[in-house]
Amino acid sequence: MADIGFRSFLDDLDKAGELKRITKPVDCRQLSALGEQSDQATMFENIEGYPDWRVATALVSTRKRLGIAMGCTENRIAFEFEEKSSKPIDPVLVDSAPCQEVVMEGDDVDLTTIPLPLMHLFDGGAYISGTFAVSKDPEHGSNVGCYRLMYRTPKETGIDLVSPSDMRFYYQRALDKGEPLPIAIAVGVHPLDMLAASYKAPIDTNELALAGGLRGEALEMVKCKTLDLEVPADAELVLEGELLPIGWTADEGPFGEFSQISGDVKWNPIFRIKCITHRKNPIFYMLQMPWENDWLAAPVTEAAGLQALRVASVQPVDIRAPVGGCGYWALIASIKKRPGEGKNAVAALLSVAEVKYVVVTDEDIDIHDPDELDWAIAFRVQADEDAVILKGARAKHIDPSVKSWELGKGGLPTTAKLGIDATIPEGVPPILYRRIKNYGRDRIKLEDFE
Amino acid sequence: MSPLATKIKTALEAEAQQFHDVVDDHMDVPWPEFLRAWGELREIDILKRDDEGAYFVEAS
Repeated sequence: MADIGFRSFLDDLDKAGELKRITKPVDCRQLSALGEQSDQATMFENIEGYPDWRVATALVSTRKRLGIAMGCTENRIAFEFEEKSSKPIDPVLVDSAPCQEVVMEGDDVDLTTIPLPLMHLFDGGAYISGTFAVSKDPEHGSNVGCYRLMYRTPKETGIDLVSPSDMRFYYQRALDKGEPLPIAIAVGVHPLDMLAASYKAPIDTNELALAGGLRGEALEMVKCKTLDLEVPADAELVLEGELLPIGWTADEGPFGEFSQISGDVKWNPIFRIKCITHRKNPIFYMLQMPWENDWLAAPVTEAAGLQALRVASVQPVDIRAPVGGCGYWALIASIKKRPGEGKNAVAALLSVAEVKYVVVTDEDIDIHDPDELDWAIAFRVQADEDAVILKGARAKHIDPSVKSWELGKGGLPTTAKLGIDATIPEGVPPILYRRIKNYGRDRIKLEDFE
Repeated sequence: MSPLATKIKTALEAEAQQFHDVVDDHMDVPWPEFLRAWGELREIDILKRDDEGAYFVEAS
């Protein structure tokens, strides 16, 4: 078996003092509210009505815990992700797997045997929030992504497929032929696998090999029981089934989104489940919104930003996807600038997926210090020259300002993006930016005079 | 239809409710049982949504 897995990560959190265990009985309607109040990741050991199950949540809802998953410090996460993702390792197929210790097929399929939580006040139902979803296209091969599932019946869920994604593309191709799209949903995999799944890669990128690169070892996969798909062998739970060829017609949501907004009702396909497999004594993973999703998103967005800067021949010094932008919508970067590269960097970063707001500054600015950043914007920016607006770019439905309700069912919104070049303008002598420094500050010490 | 599903259906015929309101009214019901009853209503496709996401059932 591989050294790295969902349970080994729980052990890592435990050793770091980052895992709280709750042994008192907890109802599925209480899980989310309790997990949100804990400053540690939480393991619920005693779930009312589900004696064989435990529930784990908020495993990477801080950047510190994501650093534990990545095996690095918080400020190195983006660079670590970039480096490891450049060394993919192909997955390996194994014959048997813990995720198939228990198998329910046909009439035995029953989602109510799984502790599905009611997470947020305005959610449209109980949800499975943290998934590793596998699909396959005859031309483009396997794809992995993260999609939420809303309970509908013991054998059906809704699935959020409103945003552009490879699986949406696969589904559309199957729908055009009037065929269902087989998919498999794994729940309870290592955060590195979730990072790989959420990476916005070109369609032919093998996210499973990316997961191997992040792990530093091959991801072990096993054939599904009823589908021509493979899933991570060490997952806690697997749902095998198909997206019905009904298009975007079934109500789904609202759900507490990673944008920190409750969202609205979406129109989506239905996932019909044919087989459920899981470990003996399984652990259900409840991805806690929004922070766990946001911190999983941040390094992916940051690494995409680094890649965009390097493709544009701009040398990055530091980058961050701030919490205010929920890890998706904003990027702040400092660069070693040559003439014109402030604008090149802004253009490059605005090209990253859903990034809507960008600030680029010089290497002398600590981009993790908001006061430093404000200072750079105040004194290095002329709005009529350094603010860049890009209209008609791709957007996400959950941003209310794109007015997605004006679209038809299945329609895709667009947005305007803002970039600010807060680097020292060309032609301004750098001497004008010398910072105040007290005379003798390096050698005159206050303690010598107290 | 189970008695619990019938009860929920009757309530949603009377007025639209958010999912959490329906849940609040049945906190004494074990969660798996509640989900099975909800699934019964889904299976016969009678649950509708209003503009705020509340569920309702059109009176027959």
